[in-house]
Amino acid sequence: MVSKPDISVKFCNLELESPYLLSSAPPTCTGEMIMRAFEAGWAGAVTKTIKPDKTPVYDLKNRFGVMGFETKQMILFENIEEVSKRPVGTWVNEIKEIKRKFPEKALIGSIMAECKEEDWEELARVVSEAGVDMLELNFGCPHGMPERGMGAFIGQRTELIQKLTKAAKRGSSVPVMVKLTPNVTDIAFTAKAAEEAGADAISAINTVLGLIGINIDTFEPIPTVDGMSTFGGLSGPGVKPIGLRCVAQIAQATNIPVSGIGGITTWKDAVEYLLVGAGSVQVCTAVMWRGYRIISDFVDGLTNYLADKGFSSVQEIIGKTLPRLTAWSKLNKDYTVVASINKDLCIKCGLCYVACRDGGYQAIKFEQGKSAEVDEEKCDACSLCTHLCPVPGCITWKKVTK
Amino acid sequence: MSGRVHTKTIPPHERVSSFAPYVSNLDDRLAVYEASRCLMCFDAPCISACPAGINIPEFIYRIKTGNFYGAAKVIRESNILGGECGYVCPVERLCESKCVRRNLNEEPVAISMLQRFAYEKEKLKGLVKFPKSRSKNKKVAVVGAGPAGLSAAYELARMGYGVTVFDANPKPGGLLLYGILPWKAPWSVPESEIDLIKEYGINFVTNKKITDLKSLLKEYDAVFVGIGATKSQKLGIPGEDLNGVYPAQEFLQSVAKWLMGEGKAPDLKGKRVAVIGGGDTAIDAACASVRLGAERVYIVYRRSFAEMPAVPYGRNQAREEGVEFLLLTAPVRILGEKSVEAIECVKMELTEPDSSGRRGVKPIKGSEFRLDVNSVIVAIGQKPDEELLKSYGVKTEKGLIVVDENFSTSIKGIFAGGDAVNGGETVVEAVAEGKKAAAAIDKFLSGGKSPKK
Repeated sequence: MVSKPDISVKFCNLELESPYLLSSAPPTCTGEMIMRAFEAGWAGAVTKTIKPDKTPVYDLKNRFGVMGFETKQMILFENIEEVSKRPVGTWVNEIKEIKRKFPEKALIGSIMAECKEEDWEELARVVSEAGVDMLELNFGCPHGMPERGMGAFIGQRTELIQKLTKAAKRGSSVPVMVKLTPNVTDIAFTAKAAEEAGADAISAINTVLGLIGINIDTFEPIPTVDGMSTFGGLSGPGVKPIGLRCVAQIAQATNIPVSGIGGITTWKDAVEYLLVGAGSVQVCTAVMWRGYRIISDFVDGLTNYLADKGFSSVQEIIGKTLPRLTAWSKLNKDYTVVASINKDLCIKCGLCYVACRDGGYQAIKFEQGKSAEVDEEKCDACSLCTHLCPVPGCITWKKVTK
Repeated sequence: MSGRVHTKTIPPHERVSSFAPYVSNLDDRLAVYEASRCLMCFDAPCISACPAGINIPEFIYRIKTGNFYGAAKVIRESNILGGECGYVCPVERLCESKCVRRNLNEEPVAISMLQRFAYEKEKLKGLVKFPKSRSKNKKVAVVGAGPAGLSAAYELARMGYGVTVFDANPKPGGLLLYGILPWKAPWSVPESEIDLIKEYGINFVTNKKITDLKSLLKEYDAVFVGIGATKSQKLGIPGEDLNGVYPAQEFLQSVAKWLMGEGKAPDLKGKRVAVIGGGDTAIDAACASVRLGAERVYIVYRRSFAEMPAVPYGRNQAREEGVEFLLLTAPVRILGEKSVEAIECVKMELTEPDSSGRRGVKPIKGSEFRLDVNSVIVAIGQKPDEELLKSYGVKTEKGLIVVDENFSTSIKGIFAGGDAVNGGETVVEAVAEGKKAAAAIDKFLSGGKSPKK
C-alpha cells in the first residue's frame, strides 16, 4: 500500500492543506459564507473585493448571463456585478471572526480603490491589520469599475499597476498578490510590472470581457437591465484555455508564485493549471453552479490522480508542463505522423470523411457500411479527424519516416 | 454520450378506456436534446433504410438548431404523409434499426418522435406547400385514396397533371382512416395531410367504387391503382363461418367506422377473444378488443417471439394492456353450434432453419387443447379485393397485381402500387411506391422522356 500523496502546498507565506481557494466573488460575499466553505473543505478563500466606504457600488438587476452548447446548459458565464457593497468595518469584524474560528485556513483580503495611492495604502493597512493572511489587489474587474478608474482600468496600465502595488505594499502588514486582467495584449508584460513593483504573487485571470448573447426575439443584449446591457466578464469552462495560456505566460516571465484562475470546474482542470505553473488555484463559477460541496471531489480526485501517477506530493507536478511550452518556431518540423483508423472500433458514421473532405486534405475514403480508411499519402496529420471521431481511441497516430 | 429520451405514456389501465393516443409528444427542450444525439452521419444508413428516403440527419439537425419549420420542410419534401409516418412507421425495423448510435452500444436516436415533433410544429404554421409545375393538359385517374394513391396523386398534381382520385369510402384516406385506429395516430394527422394534398388542385370523388378500369382509360390518359389489401386471408379450418369469427381487416374497418359514427362495432364486452396471427394487424386487433371491453384477449401465434413480425413496441403495448400471448400454438378448428364457443389448438415446435434461415413449425402430436373463447379475429395476412381485381382484368399472381419495374400493369396505361402490389407493407412503402409510380406515369405520358426525379 502506497502512502496517500500529500496535496498540501506552500504558496508564498500560506500553508495550504490543498491548492484549492475560493476566488473573490459571490461565494465569498460574507463571513458566514466563507466559514461554511471552510467547513466544506476549502483550503482558503479570497474575500469579495472590499472597497473604501466612500466609493459607491450598486448591484444591477439582473447581472448574470450564460452560454450553453448543445446539451450543456453552461459553458460560459457572464456577470456585470460590482465589488462588495459592505462597509469596511463589517469586513474587519468578520475577518477577525473567521480567523478566530478557522486559524488554519488561508484568508486573503481582496481590495480595490480609486487610483489614489493614499486610498490603496489606507485600505491595505486596515484590511491587513484585521488579520488576513494576504492581500489580493483587484486590478482585473472588466465591467463597471473600469469606467470609474478601477479594476481592469488599472490592470491595463503598467504605471498604475506599479504605483498602486507599491502603495498597497506600504500599507500592508502581509504579502500582497496582484490579480491581473486577461484583457490586455500581453499579460506577461503587466505581470512583470507587478513583480518589479514588489508584488509577492500574481493571480490570474480575472474575467474576460465579452457579450454573452442577444435575445433574438426581443433584440435585447444579455444580461438585460431594463432592456439595456453593457459588456461583462466571462468565466466558466470556456475561459479555461485563456486562463491556462495566461498562467503559463506569467509563470514563464516572472519568478513569483501564480494563483491560477479561470474555468476550473473539476480537479482535472486544476491539475492542468498546476502543470503550467500555478502554485494554487481559485474557483468561483463551478461553486456558483453546484455549491461548496464540490470541494470533496476536487480533493479526492487530485489525491487519486497523484497516487495513480506515482507522485508523493502535489508539489512534484507544479510547472511540470512548462518546459514543453515553447515558441512555434522551435517546434520539430521533421516530426511526421499520419492518422490511423482502427477498423474494429470504427462505427462507420463517415464523420471523419466529411471533415477531411471539407475541412482538410481529402485523405479519408468512406463508403456506407464500411470502415473509413486513411490515404496515407494525402494525410497531412492536421488531427481534425481524431478530435471529431465519436469513438475515443479509434483514430490514432502512426509514426512514419519520410 | 447521452441517453435517448423517454416519452410520457398514459398508464395501461387508463389508456384502454379510450381509443385516444396514449404517448405524449416531445416538448421543445426534449426534442432539441434528442436531436443533439444525432451524429449527422455521412451517407447515413437511416436514409437508406427509409423507403421514402427522407434526409433524416438534415431534418434532425434543423430541430437541433431550433429551425423546426425547416425540419418539417425536409420531411415533407420526401414524404407527403410524413406526419402520419412519424406516428405509424415501424421505425424499429426501418430507420432506427440502422442508427449508428447503436454501433456505440447506445439506443438509436428517436427518429419517429422527432418526425412527429416536426409535424406538430409544422401544423402550427400550416403544412409546407411546394410550387407546382405548369399544367400539362393531361389527366390521370387514381383509384383508391389510401397512402399509395394519395402519394401518386400528389406527385402527379405537382408535375402539372389533372388528377382525379376515386375512393369507395365516404372519406379519402383508405387505411389511414379505416385501418389505423386513433391511439396510434390521431385522425387529425392524415386529415391535415389530405387537406394539404387537396390544395394542389386534385379532384376527389368519394363513395365511388371503380369496377371498370378500361372505361376510365377512355377518359384519362393514365390510371394508377392503389386499392390496398383490404381483405383478410382465411384460416381455412373448420368453423371459420361461425358467428363471432371476424376477419381482422374488416374488424378494424368496422371499429374505425363506428368511431366515426357509422354503424356498430363488434360487441366484445365481457367476451373472451382469440386473435390469430403475429403481425402488427394482430396486435392492433387485440388492443382494439381490449378497448371494446373484452374480458380476456389472447394472441394465438404458431411461432415464437423471435419470429414474430409485429414490432416489439406493439408487442409491449399489447402486453401492458393485458393481452395474453399463446406462442407456438396453432388453431385446428373453431368449435361451436352457431356461434364460437372455443378453439381447438395444438402446440407447435420449431424446426431447424430452412435455407432462407427462417424456422418452420410442426405440430406436437397429442398436444391438442381447448381454448374457451366467444370471438375469434383472424389476422394472418391481408390481400386485395379478389372480385375487384377480376373485374379490372389486370394480370395477378397469388392474388396480387403484377407490375413491371415501372409499376406498369399488364394493361398499357394502367399502373399500380402499394399494398395491392406488395401484399401489405407499410404506409411509408406505399408512399414510396406511389411516388415512383407517379414518376413512371410521367415518363409514360411525356413520351419516354426520363422523369424529373
